[in-house]
Amino acid sequence: MKYLMLIYGNQEKWASIPAEEWPAAIAKQDAFNKKYQATGELIGAYGLADDSQAKLVRRENGLPAVTDGPYQETKEYIASFYLLDCESEERALQIAADMPWADQEPVEFWPIMHEAKLDL
Amino acid sequence: MTPDPGGVEDLLRELAPQVLGALVRRYGQFHLCEDASQEALLAAALRWPADGLPENPRGWLITVASRRLADQVRSEASRRNREDLIAFATPQSELLAAPPDAEPVGSDDSLALLFGCCHPELSSPSQIALTLRAIGGLSTAQIAAAFGVPEATMAQRISRAKQTIKASGLALGPAPGEEQAERLRAVLQVLYLIFNEGYTATDGDELTVPALSREAIRLTRWLHRLTPRDGEVSGLLALMLLIDARRTARTRPDGSLIPLAEQDRAAWDQAQIAEGIELITATLPGGEVGPYQLQAAIAAVHDEAKTMADTDWPQILSLYDLLELAAPNPFTALNRAVAVAMVRGPAAGLEILAALAADKRMARHHRLLATRAHLRELSGDTESAAADYLEAARRSTSAPERRYLAEQSARLKPRGT
Repeated sequence: MKYLMLIYGNQEKWASIPAEEWPAAIAKQDAFNKKYQATGELIGAYGLADDSQAKLVRRENGLPAVTDGPYQETKEYIASFYLLDCESEERALQIAADMPWADQEPVEFWPIMHEAKLDL
Repeated sequence: MTPDPGGVEDLLRELAPQVLGALVRRYGQFHLCEDASQEALLAAALRWPADGLPENPRGWLITVASRRLADQVRSEASRRNREDLIAFATPQSELLAAPPDAEPVGSDDSLALLFGCCHPELSSPSQIALTLRAIGGLSTAQIAAAFGVPEATMAQRISRAKQTIKASGLALGPAPGEEQAERLRAVLQVLYLIFNEGYTATDGDELTVPALSREAIRLTRWLHRLTPRDGEVSGLLALMLLIDARRTARTRPDGSLIPLAEQDRAAWDQAQIAEGIELITATLPGGEVGPYQLQAAIAAVHDEAKTMADTDWPQILSLYDLLELAAPNPFTALNRAVAVAMVRGPAAGLEILAALAADKRMARHHRLLATRAHLRELSGDTESAAADYLEAARRSTSAPERRYLAEQSARLKPRGT
């Protein structure tokens, strides 16, 4: 089963972290990524660019029409996402709880739909 | 003579566990042998279709794999200065001799190998991946495609499993008698999981995305040949054949699900049903009847019925009664509730579900909700049935199943609400 983990945050929050703490913080996340890539359970880990880089795209007359936005209604937005493939939900939840800052901020956890046809 | 590539592929997959088994028996070191054996298979896959088959394909593969292994060990040994690690203890003549039919095709080696791949210390995804690679002869890329993960992820998983085997110093020899039976249960569980995986949504290109259910049948058939007297191995093979026989009738061209009651039974594979029924009929009187045999017997009763209405529900119910004694589990209880409803009426089935729903996790499970919806509909309570179907749809993570359940809910909803 595959699962998506989402981490939220905002610029203000990250700016409040002193620069000298960054290397240690990054190392923690790297260690987590390496650990679960090695077990074959972490398919991918991706950090998103700042929301000032995000755009809205529509198709108008067959051409892409790009505008600024999205203008968030919530204060925090997605900072990074992680794709897991685990034996069971129990195991995936265990990995989510092992995220470096799960003791301070919750990790958003979503099961992913799959195409398996169950016998009816 | 140039053999067709499909024939070579089949032959190589048949030989894969024999080659690896022979290597592991001679040299130990599963993780190194596995790499060497894969390299030999790859070399053969490239050369044989063009050059034709060698006279003794199995001997050819073992020889090439042994050379690769020796190369590997030598390069490792020169680094570590341990030249005596393996080397050429085996005379070349032994590797080259014997036509394929001269010895009983190393069945013991392959069986020991299968037991190793399903070692209890490995996680279930690792057992599955390793079995498909070492026994099934599938490439890492094929296994990754079948499970919908990147090849790198699957490679990590396999390499991790091999490390575990190396670290545990896992003996690939025959397990002691008592343990043997337990290990065989683990093997059957792995084969059944492969069969059920079904992540391959479409019948795609067999070479890139192998149909796991068919691969599981092939491997179980092979295991059955090696252990013809084991009732549960026969039972599992019969179960797979009897369920897989309905495969084409189970989905519409757009991929949506067709429940048993609405399937076109003329589309069921009658030859496969006959084989499954013959196998389970021969097996059942043999002695201790295990869960796979009972599930096969239930599948056989369904397959024998010309229509849903013809189904011998009392017999199915008595088989579920036995299954609940042999292997109690909440999903067996759910299926039994349906059988009870068919024999004694929906109210009796709903009573069982109410008892099952006492377990909070089970109460919210989409399977329980879907079953309750079905029984509520049978009892005429369409409004609650529609609500149950909708809630079941929300809680299912299988896309085709969710579509099916949502349709059922919509079907029962009165128009305009």
